[in-house]
Amino acid sequence: MSAASGMILDVRDLCVQAGGRRILDGLSLEVRAGEVHAIMGPNGSGKSTLTGVLAGRPGLEVVSGRATYLGRDLLAMAPEERAREGLFLAFQYPVEIPGVNNVYLLKAALNALRRHRGLPELDAFEFLNLVRGRLAAMQMDEGLLNRGVNEGFSGGEKKRNEILQMSLLEPTLALLDETDSGLDIDALKVVAAGVNAQRGPGRAIVLVTHYQRLLEHVVPDRVHVLAGGRIVRSGGRELALELERRGYDWLRAETAA
Amino acid sequence: MNAAAPLDRLTAAHAELAPRLAGGPSWTRRRRQALERLLARGLPERRDENWRYLDHARLGAFSPGPAAAGDLPAWPALPLPGTRRVTLVDGRYEPALSDAPETGVQVEDLAALLSRDPEAALALLRAPGDDADDRYALVADAFAADGVLIRVAAGAAPAAPVCLTHLASAAAPGTHHARLSIALGPGAKLTLVERFSAAGPAAALGNLAAELSLGRGATLVHVRLHEHGAAAAQVETWVARQEAGSRYEQYLFATGGVILRSNLRLALAGEAAECRLLGLFAVDGERQADLHTVVTHDAAATRTEQECRGIARDRGRGAFNGRIVVRPAARGADASQSSRNLLLSPLAEINARPQLEIHTDDVRCRHGATVGSLDEAQLFYLRSRGLDAAAAGALLTWAFCADLIGRLPLPELRAAMQARFAAALPDRALLAGSA
Repeated sequence: MSAASGMILDVRDLCVQAGGRRILDGLSLEVRAGEVHAIMGPNGSGKSTLTGVLAGRPGLEVVSGRATYLGRDLLAMAPEERAREGLFLAFQYPVEIPGVNNVYLLKAALNALRRHRGLPELDAFEFLNLVRGRLAAMQMDEGLLNRGVNEGFSGGEKKRNEILQMSLLEPTLALLDETDSGLDIDALKVVAAGVNAQRGPGRAIVLVTHYQRLLEHVVPDRVHVLAGGRIVRSGGRELALELERRGYDWLRAETAA
Repeated sequence: MNAAAPLDRLTAAHAELAPRLAGGPSWTRRRRQALERLLARGLPERRDENWRYLDHARLGAFSPGPAAAGDLPAWPALPLPGTRRVTLVDGRYEPALSDAPETGVQVEDLAALLSRDPEAALALLRAPGDDADDRYALVADAFAADGVLIRVAAGAAPAAPVCLTHLASAAAPGTHHARLSIALGPGAKLTLVERFSAAGPAAALGNLAAELSLGRGATLVHVRLHEHGAAAAQVETWVARQEAGSRYEQYLFATGGVILRSNLRLALAGEAAECRLLGLFAVDGERQADLHTVVTHDAAATRTEQECRGIARDRGRGAFNGRIVVRPAARGADASQSSRNLLLSPLAEINARPQLEIHTDDVRCRHGATVGSLDEAQLFYLRSRGLDAAAAGALLTWAFCADLIGRLPLPELRAAMQARFAAALPDRALLAGSA
């Protein structure tokens, strides 16, 4: 499998445990360039474990299976290497880091990426121009730049901040872990616009969500249902609507049968 | 080394030195009494409750006689415009490195006072009490010949900070003892930046006995920078008393020296007296920092805000031992105490003992202590943004300090401290703007 075939992420039979408990149990997923995938599932189905293991979150143990990213063994890469190779995780619960201001982290992240790609670092002027443009698009107050990373941010501000980082880093593969949760409708639209702006031929987005609300604004190419640690059903947009209508219980009953 | 050896060496050093010290018969008697009290009680040891984490063997290895003076190398000035300097070199007031004080401030050279008016000096300098933690102050009293007294007149509020620098020039190993007395009259206001900078190449121990008093409604902002050189050690014993409505703010940064042992015993004696004690120590190599405080709330509506943070790397060792006592008379007292500590290596060690002792119901008290390594979730968050593990760790360590440094009320000094703690990080300017 190579990048030439348009394959960005290829997960095969992935089994992951945490704290001695099996959470992902034979999960397979293929994501190609230009695609937006939605992964839906009930609480506890393994959604955050999936994004976590792909981004390199510590504490998750890969028991078997593999994940290939742009032709490379993703699971062998350090988290920062994954980030520099263009993988981005928007956290469900963005971490607060008092004492490190937001603008510092943005610049450090962008420069880490640019160095990795052999590009010159942006000077302060270029950088601030870039950030200001993205901030405006996310309808974020410039004051947030000089606050501690996520420190005292409201839930909505934290989620916008994640999308702001994403828009600055322009990832090849963006994993959004319940970015829609806790957002009011206005914030949801802003976040959705930020995500839609990331859609492009060379890139892919995986949205992990509990509800299909976000999918009204970011229309996915594929929808998957995650239950019991594996993908139990895949389909188009209409699958999300069906889930919205019928909930998850019928699937549980069906897959248990 | 047997246990008596350090005392024997102290006695011998005292016998040799005492006849040459100024102050006449009354001071000879006072010094001898101090020595006798010390001999009766012995130096602090590991088995003493408040001294158990200190490396006594290493402290006892410093020669008790005076360190031979060496040349003073240049030391960087603090970025504090207009500061009035008061400088002690090897515990001795150095007029050539001191400025005339502002109106309302009096700076008195203890050695000069001992020669001129030994009886006045006796009255001005309290003899150390019988507190078990005062034994190094007894040592200082037994050898007392130098130091400085700073007085701020009632209502005076000098515009510029006083910068009190303790320099050690030590060309050969030894100990220098110094006495310090700081008193603010009622309503006086002072910013005092105190700085320890051991410049000499040899292993010198500084032993400082200090007293502090704040009159009614007085305010003292006291920044304390322990920036000793690699071979130097410091023991200090502070006894402080605050009258009604006074405010004491201490910002202690311990980043240098092989051993620092700091004792502060502070009495909030008057109604609504308040103190803020912020401390940050960073130990690496084989260094040790041991901070010990006892604050007593003796009057109603008194307040304490205490926060100590520590970072230990390599085989560095740190201790925070803080006790707050709220006496029955202290109705409506408010005390908070927190100790947060970061261990950055498996061989590093930090002991945190916050203690609250409350003898009245009408109080608001909170305390807590943590000792741990860097936060895994924060590390992962930074790494997921492309920062490598080392850079992420350095940034989080910085953040741990920056928070506290950000509360320094002197902007120029705050920026300098931030820059220093951020020294290993890229884009420092951007970072320092954060707090």
